[in-house]
This record gives sequence, C-alpha cells and structure tokens, in this order.
Amino acid sequence: MLVPIFTLKLNHKINPRMVTLGKYDGKHPNLTAATTAGKVFVHNPHTRMANASGRAIEASVDSDVSLLSINQQVSAVCAGSLDSLGVNDVLMVGTQTNLLAYDVQNNTDVFYKDAPDGVNAIAVGQLGDIETPLAIIGGNCSLQGYDSEGNDLFWTVTGDNVCSLVLCDVTNDGDKELIVGSEDFDIRVFRKDEIISEMTETEAITALCSMANNRFGYALANGTVGVYENNSRYWRIKSKNQAVSIHSFDLNGDGVPELITGWSNGKVDARSDRTGEVIFKDNLSSSVAGIVEGDYRMDGHSELICCSVEGEVRGYLPASQEQKGNLMDTNVEQETIRELSQRKQNLLLELKNYEENAKAGQAERPSGMGELDKAQMGIIPANTQLQTSLTVNPGDANKPPHVELSVSTTNDTIVRSVLIFAEGIFEGESHVVHPSVQNLSNCLKVQVVPPKDVPVDLHIKAFVGGKSSNQYHVFELTRQLPRFSMYLPCPDDTPEPKSSVAFTVNERVQRVLMWINQNFLLNEDITCKGDLNIGFISLRGSGPVFINMQANGQVTIKTDDLDLAGDLIQAIANFLGIEDLQVTADFPMHMEELKNVLHKVDEFHSVRQKLTAEMADHSNLIRSLVVRAEDARLMGDMRNMRRGYMELFDLNRDLINGYKIRCTNHQELLNCLKLVNQTIQKAGQLRVGKFKTQVVSSCREAIKTNNISALFKIIKTGAS
Amino acid sequence: MMELNLHRADYIQVGVTSPRSMRLLPEKKAKAAQRVAVADQTGVLQCFNMKKREPVSAFKTLPGPKINRLELGGALGMIPDKIFITSGSEVKGFTKKGKQFLGFDTNLTESIKTMWVSGSHLFLGGNYIFNHYVDCKDENYYLCSDRINDIVCLPLGRVKEVTPVLACQDRVLRVLDASNLLYEVEVAGPPQTLCLFADEGGEDGEEVLYGTSDGKIGLVQLGRSAPNHKWEIPNEKRSGGVLCLDNYDITADGIADLLVGRDDGLVEVYGYDESDEPVLRFSQTLSESISSIQGGTVATPGYDEVVACTYAGWIQGLSTEPPLKEAGPGDKVKVSQDTQNKISSLKAELEGLQRRVIQEREKYHYSAMNTKAISAVPYFNINDRFSLNRDDASYTLSIEVQVAIDNVLLQSDVPIDLLDVDKNSAVVSYSACDTENGNFLLATYRCQANTTRLELKVRSIEGQYGTLQAYITPRLQPKTCQVRQYKIKPLSLHQRTHVLDDTRPMNTLKLSGQFSLAEIHSWVCFCLPEIPERTPPGDSINFHFLSTFLDTQLDCLYRKGEGIFRSDNISTVSILKDVLTKEATKRKINLNISYELQDDSIPDTLRRLHPKLEYQLLLAKKVQLIDALKELQIHEGDLEFMSPEYRQILSDAGTLQAEYKKQPCHLERLYGMITDLFIDKFKFKGSNVKTKVPQLLEVLDNYELQNLIDFFNSAGS
Repeated sequence: MLVPIFTLKLNHKINPRMVTLGKYDGKHPNLTAATTAGKVFVHNPHTRMANASGRAIEASVDSDVSLLSINQQVSAVCAGSLDSLGVNDVLMVGTQTNLLAYDVQNNTDVFYKDAPDGVNAIAVGQLGDIETPLAIIGGNCSLQGYDSEGNDLFWTVTGDNVCSLVLCDVTNDGDKELIVGSEDFDIRVFRKDEIISEMTETEAITALCSMANNRFGYALANGTVGVYENNSRYWRIKSKNQAVSIHSFDLNGDGVPELITGWSNGKVDARSDRTGEVIFKDNLSSSVAGIVEGDYRMDGHSELICCSVEGEVRGYLPASQEQKGNLMDTNVEQETIRELSQRKQNLLLELKNYEENAKAGQAERPSGMGELDKAQMGIIPANTQLQTSLTVNPGDANKPPHVELSVSTTNDTIVRSVLIFAEGIFEGESHVVHPSVQNLSNCLKVQVVPPKDVPVDLHIKAFVGGKSSNQYHVFELTRQLPRFSMYLPCPDDTPEPKSSVAFTVNERVQRVLMWINQNFLLNEDITCKGDLNIGFISLRGSGPVFINMQANGQVTIKTDDLDLAGDLIQAIANFLGIEDLQVTADFPMHMEELKNVLHKVDEFHSVRQKLTAEMADHSNLIRSLVVRAEDARLMGDMRNMRRGYMELFDLNRDLINGYKIRCTNHQELLNCLKLVNQTIQKAGQLRVGKFKTQVVSSCREAIKTNNISALFKIIKTGAS
Repeated sequence: MMELNLHRADYIQVGVTSPRSMRLLPEKKAKAAQRVAVADQTGVLQCFNMKKREPVSAFKTLPGPKINRLELGGALGMIPDKIFITSGSEVKGFTKKGKQFLGFDTNLTESIKTMWVSGSHLFLGGNYIFNHYVDCKDENYYLCSDRINDIVCLPLGRVKEVTPVLACQDRVLRVLDASNLLYEVEVAGPPQTLCLFADEGGEDGEEVLYGTSDGKIGLVQLGRSAPNHKWEIPNEKRSGGVLCLDNYDITADGIADLLVGRDDGLVEVYGYDESDEPVLRFSQTLSESISSIQGGTVATPGYDEVVACTYAGWIQGLSTEPPLKEAGPGDKVKVSQDTQNKISSLKAELEGLQRRVIQEREKYHYSAMNTKAISAVPYFNINDRFSLNRDDASYTLSIEVQVAIDNVLLQSDVPIDLLDVDKNSAVVSYSACDTENGNFLLATYRCQANTTRLELKVRSIEGQYGTLQAYITPRLQPKTCQVRQYKIKPLSLHQRTHVLDDTRPMNTLKLSGQFSLAEIHSWVCFCLPEIPERTPPGDSINFHFLSTFLDTQLDCLYRKGEGIFRSDNISTVSILKDVLTKEATKRKINLNISYELQDDSIPDTLRRLHPKLEYQLLLAKKVQLIDALKELQIHEGDLEFMSPEYRQILSDAGTLQAEYKKQPCHLERLYGMITDLFIDKFKFKGSNVKTKVPQLLEVLDNYELQNLIDFFNSAGS
C-alpha cells in the first residue's frame, strides 16, 4: 500500500484549480496557491532548512508561508520560466481584469498587463516555433501570449469562454500545440494560431493535462475524466463527483505516467493511461484543490503533491521496486478468482433464465396466457419487436417544436417506460418517460429537443410487458440523431433571408445532396436533377436557410444565422474532405450589430476612465476627512468630529455606489468584447484551413489599429 | 491494546442466502479445522471443509423450496452437531454426515421464518405465530401482535424455566412463560436479530444481545421478574442494520468478543474494556450484506477467523493467519501453483459455460421467429429495505441484487427529495417531470461496474402520500427489470413508541360510525408506518407514536365503531382527519367526526420546538460567519481583537460545518412544519390564513419564542 511520505497542514484555504509549483530562486520548489481575500501564498520550507545548520528547530508551518496581496479576486495562478534559458520561474497571477507576472525572489513585478477579456486559465511554455516561451492566457473567447517583457506575440479567438489550457505535442512533430477547453463543450487544438482539430465533448472542459505518447487527459464539469489520443477518445469514465484537477505522473514506477485525478469529494485516484483502470486511490478530508509535482524534499526524487481546499497537502513518491506496481494492497490472486467466480455465477444465472424460459414455453400454450401470476411475470410473445422512428415535429400551442422519437411494440404488449441515455441534450445524462397507468399503450412518444447542432447517439431502454406486470423485458437499442435534426423543409413561399455566404467546391451536386440526406432528419431522401436548391426552416427560431448548388460547383447558403452558416460549411468541408476554403460572406445585419457593439465598447471605455478619476478624487477627500475628524476627536471637539464622520459616511456611500456602477459597466464591457471576439471567431468558422487562420489574424490587426471598415471587409471577403 | 489484523479469503459461492443460514460445525478438539454448513434459497444444504485452500464438499442436498434458517442442535450436554433447517412449514434435521434423521411438517399456516433448537425443544416463529414443540409435540403457542423477527430461548441447562424471547418489529422483546407473556422490554429500534451473550448467556444465563434494523446493538439481562439494560452501542456512523451477531474470542485475550454483520456489508469486531463496555476493535466492509457471521477455525487449524456469509452466497473468512507472500524474482508477484491451477480450472469451466450460454442465447433469439413461442424470464432475487431513520427523519432505501445492477429508475407520484449518500457511487440524473402523468420524481441511477448494492436516502413531507417505485435492471441477459413499490404514508415521519407523555395538552379527534375493527385498522395502517398489516388480537387497539422530526406524539385508540386519536400537534390531527375521511368515503361508510382542540397545545408544541429552532438558527448564523471570519484571520493574523464568541466560532469551524452538512434543509423543514401548524390551527377554526404566511415567515426570520406564540394567538382574528 502506497502511503504519503509527507503531510502538511497549511492553515490557509486553497482556491480550487489555483495551485502551482515554482522554483523562484531556480533551485527550491515552492508550493504556490491562491487563497481567500484576493491573496496568493507561497510556501517555502527550504530556506529555513538551510538556516537550521543541521540542528532540529521548532518547525512552525506558518512561518514558512508568505502572502502576496493581489487585492482582487484571483482567477488563475501559474509558475513557469519565460526566459529561454529557463532558470528562475516567474509567478503569473491572473484576475478578471489583469495579468501580473511577478518575480518572487526579488519581490518585483516583471510586467503587469490589462487583460480586458479576463484571465480564466494560464499556461506557460514553448508554443510551436515561437522562439521564446510564452505565458498564454485564456479569457472570454480570446487567447493571448506574452513573452518575458510583456509583448504579446500571440493572439487568437476561440468559440467561448476558455476554461482550461495546456501545451502538449499532440501531432508528434516535436513542437507543442496549444489545447484549449472552453465552455461550449469543445476542445480545440491550435498549432500556433491555426486550429488543427476540434473535438466536441458533453460538458464544459474544466481541466486538461498533457500525458506521454501524444496523449492528453481531460475533465468535464459533469464528472467525466478521460484520455484523448490523436483526436479520438481513448477511454473515459464518469463519476457522480467532479474532477477538480488532473495531472500526469508515473506513480507505479512502470515508466508510463498515469492520469491522477483529484475529486471534489477529496478522493485522489491514479488510473492507467491505457485502460482507465484504477491502480491507486487515497482520500483527503476535503475537496481536492490542485495536484502538482516537484522535488519538494530536495532529495532528487520528484513527488506527486496533492492539496485540498482546506490546506492539507500530501506528497507521494512513486512506488518502489518491491511493490511491483501493486499499490492498493489487494490480493491479485483472490481478486482474479473472485472475478472469475462472479462471471461463472452470472453465466449460470443466464443459463437458468433460458432453461426456465424453455420450461415455461412447453408448459403452456400462448392461448393460456393471462393468469394473474403470468401477467405479473411479464411474459411476452417471443416475436415481440420494438420499433422506433424519428420525426421532426413543428410543435403547436402546447408543445414547443421538437424531434419526436416514437417507440412502439409490434403487438399488444405495452411499453411501461422509456429511458434514454444521451449526452449533451438533456439536463442530466438521461431522460425518462413514464406514463400513468391509465395512459399505458403499446406506443410511447418522446420529445427530444437537441440544444445544439451536433450528432447524438440515443441509447434507448424500453420496459416492455403487460399492464399489471411487475417484471418487464428491457429492450436496448441505439439510434443516432443526425447533426441538423431541428430543421424542417420549408414551404415554397418562404421569403429569402438577406444574408448569404457563397463559395465554390470542386464536387458533384449528388455528393452534397448525399450529405444533406445524411445530416438532416428527412421523411424521405431528397433527389434532384441539375441544380440543387432546397430550403429548411429552423425550429429554434433562427429563420429559414437555403442551400443552393449549381452544376459548376458554386454553392450559396442563405441564412441570417452566422453560427449556422459556419456549422454548415465546416460540416460540408469535413464531409467532402476540403482542406482550405475561401468564401464570400454577406451578413449585413451582423455587421450592423458589430458596428453598434464597437461603438458601445468605446463608450464603456470612456465611462470607465471617468469613474476611475472620480474614485481617485474621492480617496483624496477621504484621507483629509479622516485626519480632520481624528484631530477633532483628540481636541475633544465632539461636534466637529461627528460632522466629519457623517461626511465620511456619505462619501463612503458614494464610493460604494460608484463602485457598483463601475462593476456593471465592466460587466457590460466584458459582454461586448466577448461579442466582438465571437463574431471574429464565427467569421473564421465560415472558412476552412489557412483562410480561417488568416481571417482571425487580419481581424485582430484591424481591431488593433481601430480600422472598422477594414474589419468589415475582412469578414466579408476573407482578406483586407 | 493489540491491533487486530485480519486477512480476507474467499471460500465458495452458493445461492442467495437468508439471514442466519450458515453455521460452523463444532469440533471436539480446540482450534481444529471446522466444517461449514450453509443453506441457500435454492433449497440446497451443503457442508464443506477447507483442505489446502480448496473447498471439499462433505455432502450436498438436492434443490428444493427456499431455506429460511439453519440452526445447530443436539441432545443437552452433548456437542450440538446436528443440523436443522426450515423451509415452508417444515423442519428437517441432518446429521453431520448428511443423513436426514428428522422430517417434521408442523402444519403451521404461516411459513416458518425463525427457529431455535435446544435439546429436544424446538421453538418456531412464523410472521406472528410462535410455537414451542418438545419432541415434535405441540407444547405452547403464542400469537404476537407484531411481526416476529427472531427467537432465542434462555439456555435450558442454566435457567430453570423454559423462557423463550421473541424479537418483535414493534421495538420490543417479548419474554414468554409457556403460552403467556411474562413481560415486554422496549429496545432502541426494531430488533432484527438475537443472540445469547458470551458463554451461554452470561453469568446467570439471562443475558441476551440484540441488533436492530437501524444499526444499534444492545445487551439486556432478562431476569425472571424484570429486565435490566446493560449497555447499548448507538449507530453514530449510520452504518447498516444488524443482521447477525456472534460471540468469539478472536483477539485471543480470554474474553469472547462480539462479532457483528450488517446489511451494508460491514463486519465489526468489538472487544470489551475493564468496565465490560464494548469497544470497536476491527471493522471491514465486504461489498454485500452479511447474512450470517460466526467465529471459528476453517482454513488452517490453529488460526482463528471470522467467517461471514453474504446475501449473494459468498462465504468468506477474515483470518488471523498472516497472508503468505512469496517474493520471486522479476517484476510479477509470483502466483502460487495451487492458485494458478485453480484459476486455470475456473477458466476452463468458464469457457465451457460460455459455449453453452451462446448456444442457448442463439436458441432464445431463434425462438423470436416463432409466432407461438413466448419469452418468460424468471424473477431475480432482490433484497430491499425502506426504513425510517430516527436521527435525521429521512428514509433509507437500500436495494441489493445477486448480480451487478445496471441501472435503477426511481419514480414517485408524491413530491419527495433524494439525498446523496456517500456510500453510493452511482451517477444520478434527474429527468424533467410531467405532473399530469403523476410523476413528481423521475431519476435514474446508473451504477458503476460490479455494484450489487445501492443505497439512497429519501426525504418525505408529512401529509403528502403515495408510492415510490423502483425499476431495477441488473446486468443479466436476457435483460429484464423488476418493479418494487414503497408506500409513502401520510404520517410518514412517525415512529412507534411504547411510552406516552400524559402531561402534554392533547387535541382529540373522534370518529364513530358503522365500521369494523379490521376496517379502521386498515385505515390506520394506511396512515402510519410500523403497524402490522394484520389486525392484532383483542377488542380494542392502542398504538403510540412519536414524530421523529418534531418529537410530538400521537395516541391511537380504536375499536369496532369508534376511534380516538390524540396528538399535541394539530397538524397531525388535521392530516389524520383528511385521510381517514377520504378512506371512509371511498368505502361508502358514514363517519361522525368530532374534534376537541386544546388551545394551549399550540404554545406547548411551539415551546417544544423552541430549542431545536433556536439551535438551528444559531448554527446557520455561525456557519454563515465562518468564511468572513476566516478572511479576517488571514488579513490580520492576530485574533486578539475579536470577541471570544467569534474566536470560538473560528476554532469550532470544522465541527460546525460538519453538523450543518449532516442535516441539510433542517431549518427549512422546521419552517415548513410551523407554517403547517399555523394553517391547520386556523383551518379547524374555519378560517383560511394562507395570505398571512409571509407575515409568519417574517416573524420566524426575527425569531423569538414569545413573539411567535403571540402571532399564533393574534393572527386570524
């Protein structure tokens, strides 16, 4: 059994996911974490040891901790070296508005940058072929990379708020890619500023970590943890608890790092990176806050260090040779025998089921069915089949538009209940339909409303039996919901949307038609001769969409929904295997909106400056008022003192009010900036491959130089 | 004190077992390897011993009806090595060689649930009937008013009179003398299992251990004239109910220790300290509920062990023998040759089975072509329990299946809350509910691999009644699911008690009409938990109840044509009135209802609630302060400036938070009950005060007892 080699109680709370380890003097690793009240603490037990000169001294943990006041809610911390030589680590602290790079050893700021998009995650390291290491921060839809002097050398946008970042060589080309997990359930892999792959998960991606062999681990907000290799999922597991932190560490000493997960219930487990099998687990008394690794005892061995939110720290050394990878103190032989016996038991039970079934079949004729006992046992004709169908239902006054899944049996047996397990389309992972006893029949209709245009596998379990049964047969089957299922063919007289996007592909019309038949939920396959021209209407209320393709490969998609246009283009390009695609996009409504937003951003900026100036005025006034009031108190002039404090009270109230205004102003500003970033991202989404990267970077240039007209032109044509 | 280290070993798996159906056969020589006799629900009795870690069967009977109990017996003064089993209304006896020497059909109307054998005396218990036979001749008979869970008889050699003791569901031990009740002893919970203490019942042979279904264990001395409670182990960790007990000196200190098996798979060993109080010495969780436990020697002569039998039929030993570790060269742990052989033979067996199963599976699928064929899958065994916890006024639902559970669907037609239980690792997902289809709760529990047992907590609201249904799907082909129903009764949070505080002012509800005793009993049974379904004997029936949440009481006294219900809580009376009227109307029986309200019962109830409410309010306030105080602590470093009260909060932060977490929503529930009380008080007076509820909540937010009482008195007028 592997036991921790050291345990510390730090007496400071640790904010979840804000733990790092840095060698600020280039030698001694220091545990660093964000704590309550906008502070960051650095635990440095090593200098004391150095001073102790061989004699044991009374160790108090408190004296090893130094606190840094950030005076703002800390949102991310990360330590790493920005120097290409990489000797001393710099501590990076992110808040909702700023990024601070801090030299702990010399107690100086390295740089301090405004980060209007907020700092949700920080990663430090070499990205692609950029020469110096970067501190990459992820905020509201934006990614930014700074070098050691605070110059931003890297900028790009992504689909939604960034939750997690990691640098990892996924493509095995020797250069590291940036992996970004965001709130829109997507994991994107950037080679510098080009997206090379995109994986859709089922919840916000809360943590990522780089593993050996081009793999990386991920954790979702719904308790899923797993490993990816080459854009495809290797394995995943789901727990009812949430994974707070994941880390890659070779705990069993076999040369391959395992995925270490810290859970919200305090559990820490190590899973094999190949199978997901648990090889070690331990429990901390409260939720895990972070997991890091480092040579904390300075003896040449790297330890796995787990921290809990209450400030408990445990260090584990990799298993020694004697333990032979068996960390759990289990008896392997016993476990094997037990498992085999269990399987044997299961098979015997299954056999018994078939035997009893055969007996029951001989004992009676089907006409004799209907006795109470048999009805309760849920006997059904052996040829009972379950039929399912998916149709689009435009809805009515009582029902919103939805996709209707109809589940029915082929005879008079009833469907008691239907369970659908599917990810990302229900609140939880499952949806249950359980009609009351009066409404039981052999057919059940389930309403499904997929919130996003993603293909979903519906794992259906139907309970089939008689009306008064207390045992049912369970029919299990899986149906796939196509990507664009919430669209109905629209009537001919639908007005055409104003916006459109046009491009040319080198393909036959039939291929695109095939794609449409596969990806839309249609009652019957569409056929056409010559030019393709079909229209759909969105059931989510974003209006009609027309897809037109001429024999020469000219495709026009007309829709007022920029998102949908992007999704359609990405899906078509993927299906047709197009690597680079340039388009002409005309979205007058979106451009108008963008213009307004940019205008608003300017306004918010000026308001902010005004408010800041006011606040400075107020604080001067406060200082003088305090002095005056205290003077009056010392002089015994109670009347003036009271007046002074009354004024102070009023001023304080004003300040608080001002602060509230500032907060809302800031929030609005954030929203607007997010909109701008999202529009740029969507404009990128309309293109494929190198044109996509090109659009994003040219847009960035245009915004930097405040050239609005160029921005519009870029979005429209893809280049300035 | 020496630490106890026990190592687990699996011996054999039999079918699903009933509680207390495995025993070790005694050996003449101390610490010689013993044989294990075990009976399962497929009706097989088998006896085996372990030779070189391999089970060697001594004998095995043919399958038959389910066996409920296995006991050992023999002539008085001899070694008890005869095996007695009961199934249905029959008792069978086998010698240790497997020869049947007794087949006794009792012709009892109820099937036998419990049995005790002592010399030529045979004590049998059905659901309610107790019978005593001497040499298979009927001697005594007793009809119990509630379900009999277990029977022991004080040792005949040591106690002069034959004194059987019945453990009954209504929280009492009934001590009998021939066919008559000697006296009743109230115990901490519904006793589930009994066991003579230490060596044949302690010093005077009168001491009996009991284990309750809510996890408590106690020792009581049952003297001829009066009982004497010795000690009780409370269930602070909220472990499972006690299913079996045994005494065995596993710590080798000369005093027999107490072995406990619980329904959540926990095995515990208690030793005794200087003052003979039990002290926990060892505990280990096996994954399934423990149906039988006994101390003895099975695997290796000379080494004591605890032998446990689980619900799914695993027989396992927790041995004092240190495990053999062979460290060989190389990276792999060397697997011993025996085990290797065992594994390979098992694998071969599995392969054969697999082939047969595939054949059968094909046959089964082929039958789907046949229009005349049917698919009938036999029931699988479910071991489930739905019981009220007194400590936090919630229900625990536990479901155990012989094979791994795939998923469980919970559906309820009343609003209830599901609470998270640490023990359960299943992923829960709530589904949107359509109340027009009678669904107030739809939740799926998807179990992790190898989960055979699921436990969850349910919180109900008094006055709202209906049914909770669980659809249980195990991982077994062909896939089937079974429905289990659990009633949520109108007064679901009430618990049976045997004492009533007569000093409290009580409100009375009187019913009279043309109904029989059985009818009114069925209505009361519909309203309240822990009542036997069968009408108890006698002309009039009297039950006492205690609300687990509020500690208010209810007294039910009814006979043919009349029922009197008294409670100090007016809401209880109101709920009873509503439900009883509804039930009577359903059966078209005219009821005359009259009630007598005591106005001082309301302040009395509020006063009773006062300490709880005050404590909860204070706790909530303190917990709220903790984070802010901690922040101050970091800022200032020095805490001298704080008031002692705040410093106290900071130093107790951990315990306060734990306490608060242990009883989620307690305050909200109290508020809800007080609101009900308020509405019900005025409902009886014929006025509707729902509009005044916000005012009441305001009074509660600035809580002071007198203000609240005043508000109750003044509002409505």
